[in-house]
Amino acid sequence: MNILKIKNVSKKFGALEVLKNINLEITRGEVVAIIGPSGSGKSTLLRCLIRLVNIDKGSIEIDGKSMVDQDDTGVSIYSSEKDIRVLRKKMGMVFQNFNLFPHKSVLENIIEAPLTVNRTIREEAESTADKLLAKVGLSDKRNSFPCELSGGQKQRVAIARALAMNPAIMLFDEPTSALDPELTGEVLRVMKALAEEHMTMLVVTHEMAFAREVADRVIFMDLGEIIEQGKPEDVFGNPTHPRTQAFLGQILR
Amino acid sequence: MDYDYIINTAIAITKGFKVTYSLLFTTLLLSLPLGLLIALARISKTRLLQYVSGTYIWLLRGTPLLLQVFFIYFGLPAFGITFDSMTAAIVAFSLNYAAYFAEIFRSGIQSIDRGQYESADVLGLTYPQTMKRIIVPQMAKRVLPPVSNEVITLVKDTALVFGIGLLDTLRTAQIIVTRDFNITAFIIAGIFYLINTLILTIVFNRLEQKYSYYYD
Repeated sequence: MNILKIKNVSKKFGALEVLKNINLEITRGEVVAIIGPSGSGKSTLLRCLIRLVNIDKGSIEIDGKSMVDQDDTGVSIYSSEKDIRVLRKKMGMVFQNFNLFPHKSVLENIIEAPLTVNRTIREEAESTADKLLAKVGLSDKRNSFPCELSGGQKQRVAIARALAMNPAIMLFDEPTSALDPELTGEVLRVMKALAEEHMTMLVVTHEMAFAREVADRVIFMDLGEIIEQGKPEDVFGNPTHPRTQAFLGQILR
Repeated sequence: MDYDYIINTAIAITKGFKVTYSLLFTTLLLSLPLGLLIALARISKTRLLQYVSGTYIWLLRGTPLLLQVFFIYFGLPAFGITFDSMTAAIVAFSLNYAAYFAEIFRSGIQSIDRGQYESADVLGLTYPQTMKRIIVPQMAKRVLPPVSNEVITLVKDTALVFGIGLLDTLRTAQIIVTRDFNITAFIIAGIFYLINTLILTIVFNRLEQKYSYYYD
């Protein structure tokens, strides 16, 4: 069963078409890596899914319910704010720059949304947070502040923070791109563990080794279009489209 | 040196402290929250709120504070609104300082990284929750130095209320100087303002230290 259905999605920033008629279906538990050169629209696609950006055309369905539908001419019509709120809560997002709340401790970062959004009682929120911190290997940083953490630790906190809302889908927007090379491993390990628990994941990444090893499917995007997709061994081992070949040739050298 | 004269003068001047302090603290109490509201209106998506707050700031920053004090004390009675002189001073000062604080708060809010809004948004926080719990607390740290500046200016601006006959510290000193042909009272008043600004400087430094538990 498809947890995400993206149909004919188009998005323009002014005259620039960042997404051109994207069609994509994601099954529950699938790990999808989205690769492609910068400016290809991969981050915008994620941002459209969680409605940080509104789409112009096309429809998006999450867990069988429509977040945005299209009229006869393809123009997008968003559902009510209330319905969208419910659907957005099914998704968690991790950003390239972590975006932790600097004035809050690690624990406070993680329990912020459960407390204010879900009205969870504090003890419960904290015990969930402690389990998540153990999961990302940062129990000892519970009371630290983000400025006291390394990039890799910050990103692991960001993952725990997203997981605290118990999402069905996790969106990762270049989660390791802002990290020093020696720190990417710890973040990728956490993501891999998550994939092994069959979390549905969409990962925009430049980590080809991770995509190859962890993803069920690799999508190559360029200039706002999905150029090629398939199993990692096919896309990496035997890319059919010249643009994919050129991109991989450059990246993998 | 006539120590008795200095001490007696100092005691006489303390009669003006009440006006200075009540104006100072009441103005702060009212203008800081009002300034925050105006700043939020200024950055809201509602055009009307933007225009109203923008016009407010323009008017209140664009005319002399003393003129505003005069207008409220002498001008408003023509429209049937009458204040005693202290209330008029508090209203004028609060409205005026709120305009300056609003611009300081707005710059502070707008200096917060867009990613903070985005992460709060994807976590499901509403706009008011995001402002209250994420943006404004971080803004508070960033605006401490300019707010401290304004507060120190306010300490000295309180002396403007002589214009509507209030006996504040400086006016009280001036009366003594005119009476005695001796400027000791001015020197004592000057020391009073210096001590107060020194205390406020220390208070704001402490606040900055309190906020230094994190950086971003």
